[in-house]
Amino acid sequence: MTNNSVLFSKFYLRCAAAWLAICLGLLLTLAVMLPRTHINSSVLALLPRQAMGPVAPEIYDGFMQRLDRQLVWMVSPAPGQGLQPVTDWAQRLATVSGMGAVKGPMTDAQQRQWGEFYFQHRNAMLDAATRARLSQGGDAQADWIMTQLYSAFAGVGGGELRHDPLLLMRGSQIALQQSAGRLTLENGWLMSRDAQGRQWYLLHGELAASSYDMRSAHRVVTQLATLQRQLEARWPGTQVLSRGTLFYSDRAGQQAKHDLSTLGLATVIGVLLLVGLVFRSLLPLACCALSVAVGALAGTVACLLLFGELHLMTLVMSISIVGISADYTLYYLTERLVHGRQNSPMASLRKVLPALLAALATTVAAYLIMVLAPFPGLRQLAVFAATGLSAACLTVICWYPLLVRRLPVRPVPALPVIRAWLTAWRHRKSVRYGIPLAMMLFIISGLMQLRVSDDIAELQAMPQDIHRQEQQITLLSGQGLDQKWFVVTGDNEEQTLQRMERLAPALAEAQGKGWLREYRLPPLASLARQNQDRVLLAQAAPTVIARLRAVGVDTVTPDLNPMTVTPAAWRESVVSEGWRLLWLSLPGGQSAVLIPVSGVTHSQALNHLAQTQPGVGWVDRKTDFDRLFAAYRHKLGALLLVSLAAIALSFIARQGWRQGLLSLAPTVLSLGAGLSALAWGGHALNLFSMLALVLVMGIGINYSLFFANPRGTPTTSMLAVTLAVMTTSLTLGMLVFSHTQAISSFGMVLCSGIFAAYILSPLALPTAQGNDL
Amino acid sequence: MKKPLFGAALHTGTAARLLAVLAAMLTLMGNAQALQLEDLQQRFAQQPVVRAHFDQLRTISGIARPLHSAGELLIARQNGLWWQQQQPFTLTLILNDSRMVQITGNQPPEVITAEGNPQMFRFNHLLRALFQADRAVLEQNFTLQFTDRGQDNWQLILIPKASPLDKLFSAITLTGQTYLEHIQLDDKQGDRTAITFSQQRTEPKFLSHDEQQRFIQ
Repeated sequence: MTNNSVLFSKFYLRCAAAWLAICLGLLLTLAVMLPRTHINSSVLALLPRQAMGPVAPEIYDGFMQRLDRQLVWMVSPAPGQGLQPVTDWAQRLATVSGMGAVKGPMTDAQQRQWGEFYFQHRNAMLDAATRARLSQGGDAQADWIMTQLYSAFAGVGGGELRHDPLLLMRGSQIALQQSAGRLTLENGWLMSRDAQGRQWYLLHGELAASSYDMRSAHRVVTQLATLQRQLEARWPGTQVLSRGTLFYSDRAGQQAKHDLSTLGLATVIGVLLLVGLVFRSLLPLACCALSVAVGALAGTVACLLLFGELHLMTLVMSISIVGISADYTLYYLTERLVHGRQNSPMASLRKVLPALLAALATTVAAYLIMVLAPFPGLRQLAVFAATGLSAACLTVICWYPLLVRRLPVRPVPALPVIRAWLTAWRHRKSVRYGIPLAMMLFIISGLMQLRVSDDIAELQAMPQDIHRQEQQITLLSGQGLDQKWFVVTGDNEEQTLQRMERLAPALAEAQGKGWLREYRLPPLASLARQNQDRVLLAQAAPTVIARLRAVGVDTVTPDLNPMTVTPAAWRESVVSEGWRLLWLSLPGGQSAVLIPVSGVTHSQALNHLAQTQPGVGWVDRKTDFDRLFAAYRHKLGALLLVSLAAIALSFIARQGWRQGLLSLAPTVLSLGAGLSALAWGGHALNLFSMLALVLVMGIGINYSLFFANPRGTPTTSMLAVTLAVMTTSLTLGMLVFSHTQAISSFGMVLCSGIFAAYILSPLALPTAQGNDL
Repeated sequence: MKKPLFGAALHTGTAARLLAVLAAMLTLMGNAQALQLEDLQQRFAQQPVVRAHFDQLRTISGIARPLHSAGELLIARQNGLWWQQQQPFTLTLILNDSRMVQITGNQPPEVITAEGNPQMFRFNHLLRALFQADRAVLEQNFTLQFTDRGQDNWQLILIPKASPLDKLFSAITLTGQTYLEHIQLDDKQGDRTAITFSQQRTEPKFLSHDEQQRFIQ
């Protein structure tokens, strides 16, 4: 270390050691957090929280995570096989690891419990129709009882009259049956018939909570596919349909994984070859990997600390950070490569430091602007990028002078070409004005045909086979995955139920107006309503009894005692089967009910309806998406302009009017070029291409500032920028080949943008000290 | 409650379907000349319209006197079934292949469509099978006992064998001569309903304007 003490100041060595300590600390934090890390792969999680209206994030997350764990199958045995394939499938499902409860048939005992619960709580579980009759007075209820009594087929018997003379239980059961949609109970199974008369039996399963990550999700999907093949082999002709978010997210995850592994391999080989050829050493590669790894480490830890999770999209985008932070390494190493003989490592650092810091500060500022966008994914990306880049830059500054002493020194490769290129930019008008002009023509021609689309469906290709099964199940069961709900929240269960009851008439009205076709309210009343109902019953009972006496039913007395049902008792009972999913209670007492809505024709009116009710939110995932994508594309566009203005100001402040604007020109033109290439490629402008523009801006700044650095050598800068653009193309550019539309259009904008920035970057070259090529 | 879930839930909608089944049988048995079930079924095809009066007596355990009701019914192959109880209060049921309407007193009509609630239309295929004289389908739901009792008198006992009918009825007995004259439904709980038909008219073979209006709701 004696050598070091000669070359490096004590202060610098202390800095290096401190950074090492910090990095080890980060590594330790990550090791502690990683086992509990939740990698979020749902595109819906990229939605802003505001989409939920007054709904608390815990409730939103709680519901979404729960709904995303649900799986539904419909099994249709071939004629003559009876129910055996269905029970067989249920048994097979139970063997899948990672599968939680699988709901099979309702046993006779459960059916009995169901009846008993409704009977024992009949005074507290009135259906809406009975309540409406009772509120008209006893005669309306008596009229209805008479129709039941006289009907040859309604089957009102002496027993029923004795136990429940007001026929309250009958009323609630009819209401339930009417809301059952297309499903009927057949030997305990929920069953539906298709147009050809084939019977389809419904099975429901829930993934175990702990197993909802990408790898185990894929394991479950693979197991299910195997089981299905076995079932179809064992019972020829039996058909199985599956539905669940799992199948979509697994498909998307596998596609992304496939993309990353193939593109990742190309990236690694490309970068390896490039760096190896230029530096004739593997040290730069190790350095790049080190700064990138430190950057990724810091970014991950920062995101996990701040957000508690990482979105898959953020991780995919972090490849971009890989590319950008390598720029810093390459800039410093190129400096060493060329001037390693004349200058000490510290002198080289001092030479590149102003450009590095300026580039870092400007880029980080540009990214941090994205924190303002209320998209969780964007905020994660902003935090990841800002911390990751800073950490990577600190790694370059703190460690590389110590590490690069063995780097071979050699003249700039292809120096004549670079020199000719730079001279042309300085002295030939056809280059200095011609290239930017040609670029502008390209930009204008592209922008004129640029299409804008915020349709989320365009971002993700729908896997047809999975989608078709979903539609079939929706058709058969009458229960769709419309992804449209009202969410009713309250500080406690009673308040939630009361709010739901206040919402109910508005829903009926909306249904009458045709804004929605159907909605499903859980059949549970608030305590306040249970008390009101009891008053109604007490008022109506004498009239009903008199009417029953008149036809000879004279020995009955209704039991008018309270038969209170608490939400807890209801949830624990068999009757809440199928409804529990829509009920959420938080430890703090807050609770929420999800009211699924289907056949929506007027989402905006329903949204307005929700706003007029306290504690009610309207969730329409697709429409929210499209609208908010548009809104935030606009917002991001504005942010982009704001940061451009800020960058222009900082350039002008530091470099003066003329040089400042010249430094800015490559960045502005590269943004235009990115858009133009997008248009020529037939893609539409969306939020993701906008996001790419923000990155293009950051990279464009790097190139301009590397060139504008008054302490730098232009040819060295040119070499550094060339290496940077090549590595970035090899990393980010690979995203063009992604199968996910959103990512590939991102890659396209980015690639063409940085290429334009690269071509135009010599514009930023200071003209004053023109002979030092 | 001893009633199973769907027993309790078998309400007027489902009942109307059953009613339609039996009404169809009424048509089926009309003008019976030969005492073979198949022969009766063949004859049915030639009866596009049947009108009749009915009297119903429901005997319920624990109720001192039977409940009596009476009314008119009309079955037209093109339009479906119109069943109107007129005493002791008015209750109208209109049923065809795709929808069912029930009107009680001055309450708003209750409409149930086959598309909106196929469960309520479970028995429609049975009804259609009867219209098409499909004995096979009838036998899927009931065990049939057809008896020739001489002098054109016949009896058909239907023992339900499929859920939920078997949970409700122990037997459905139809008797008649030229027309179906009597239906007796024996509940599982020991209650009994007897329906007697009279004044059957098959002419004219088409609906009058007034009769057509009954199906428009």
